[in-house]
Amino acid sequence: MRTLRLMGIGGALAYRALFNWTTPAMYTGTLLAGPTFQLLFFAYLGRQLQVADDRFFIVGNAVLAASTACVFGGTMAVANERRYGTLGHVLLSPRSRTVVFWGRVLPYAGNGLLIAAFTLLMGVLLLGLRIPVTALPGLALALAAGSLACGFFGLALGALGLRFRDVWVVSNVSAALLLLLTGVNVPRDGLPDWMITVGQLLPITHAAEAARLLAAGRGLEAAAPALGRELLVGAGYAVLAALLLKVFEAESRRRASLETL
Amino acid sequence: MESDYAIEAEGLRRTYRTRTGWLRPRRETVEAVRGVDLTVRRGELFGLLGPNGAGKTTTIKMLNTLLIPTAGTARIRGFDVVEQTREVRRRIGYVFGGDRGLYDRLSALDNLRYFAELYGVPPRDQKRRIAELLELVGLTGRERERVEGYSRGMRQRLHIARGLLHAPEVLFLDEPSIGVDPVAARELRRTVAGLAANGATVVLTTHYMAEADELCDRIAVISGGEIQALGTPAELRSRADGRRVVEVEAYGVPDTAISALRGLPGVRETSVEDRGALQLLTVQSDAHVDVQGDVLRELAGIRLGRVDSREPTLEDAYVAIVGAA
Repeated sequence: MRTLRLMGIGGALAYRALFNWTTPAMYTGTLLAGPTFQLLFFAYLGRQLQVADDRFFIVGNAVLAASTACVFGGTMAVANERRYGTLGHVLLSPRSRTVVFWGRVLPYAGNGLLIAAFTLLMGVLLLGLRIPVTALPGLALALAAGSLACGFFGLALGALGLRFRDVWVVSNVSAALLLLLTGVNVPRDGLPDWMITVGQLLPITHAAEAARLLAAGRGLEAAAPALGRELLVGAGYAVLAALLLKVFEAESRRRASLETL
Repeated sequence: MESDYAIEAEGLRRTYRTRTGWLRPRRETVEAVRGVDLTVRRGELFGLLGPNGAGKTTTIKMLNTLLIPTAGTARIRGFDVVEQTREVRRRIGYVFGGDRGLYDRLSALDNLRYFAELYGVPPRDQKRRIAELLELVGLTGRERERVEGYSRGMRQRLHIARGLLHAPEVLFLDEPSIGVDPVAARELRRTVAGLAANGATVVLTTHYMAEADELCDRIAVISGGEIQALGTPAELRSRADGRRVVEVEAYGVPDTAISALRGLPGVRETSVEDRGALQLLTVQSDAHVDVQGDVLRELAGIRLGRVDSREPTLEDAYVAIVGAA
């Protein structure tokens, strides 16, 4: 019960403390307006170049929209502790690091789901996409899985912030890689083999695939394998983040590599 | 097994290795702490004094588990700080001076709620405990305001409340009054004295001798990574017995004049404290030698303010100890 409390209440308080984009202006501009214009950009570009139909870009960008909040949020969940000088006090906690930091991902994943749903709604309203009502629960599941995987991916990047000062460089590069390699805007079958392989290991690749199948009315059964792969990728990053946090914390005590306070 | 001592350290050492440059990396090794032995009894208010870079904060970070000693051992209430970190962390609190270390966007209440979760305060006790601590540090009524609007004194008090959330048996206070105005500093001292009176063991590092003199049961003076003196404030003051102190306020004293003062017969220590445009020269000499005349002769031609001769204080003893190290 206390573990759930730490994950739930602790995660929500940490979100308010550490997420930079909680003000209405920042939230609306960065997380709602930005992804909507990006969606329109790629949809119209796709129409011009006849690369794929609107559904491809609307669903792809809805999944991608969640990644900004989740990847950068997950990174902020660790890296901003340095900014506030609070890392030492967190590391002095006798509670499990894994529980503390996994709990921090949950609000970001919920936030990502909201943003993805909003972007999808914009696609429906502005570009006239039709989605079967029966597909909505499955779509919500796919978007949630993608958001969760992105949050753990961001947490793993944030864990690097315990070792390397300029972790935001890694987050920025990762955001570009998600745009390129996950098939949200660039059809994956046109990419070189190595890019396809890397893309399979990134979050949102399989969530986008599952969401497209569901939006096309193919049903949860058809989307389940891709959904399972997305959850597996997310679980992999969750374990990686926990390991990195453990290793870098131990190293910081040995080598004094952290300005903890 | 829990020990009768709150803190035991034996041969504590810490070396930092730094590397700068890429093409021709330069490696440096700094011995921050070079074999510290100390024991602190339960309920004792123990002071750790020393100049900047003396090894105070490194010593505290080894005792509170944030750093692993390069050599030696340390135990908090009998638990090893390297191997039994969870047990140690349950029993310690850490407060440090300065503006950082709090979540600025959260209110004081939410800061305390979050750290109550992190430090394992049982949910049923949290509300009562937080209210008690807000009352103790005088922040009741301001607890719903964002911390970013707090003064430094209020932040310091919130730091203390946070450090006490889980009722730690041992509290480390690392320069808690740094940059705090005199009124707030007096309130802080009152709070610290109250904690010790209620049975907590407190380790206090400070640059303010009057604070250490007023609060501490015993004081260790650390310099160059080693403990140079250890005793009650009265015992440390006696290190300066047999001395006399001349204080001179002056403006624009050149280094050559200070060197000349150090060379005067009977002079044991000379220190200079810059106070804006003013310099406060403190010259310690053997009590039977009157150096005041010689000091004023060496300072001829320099604009002077107040000149005073007095008995030595703890600060003079501290200067003598650190100067001899």
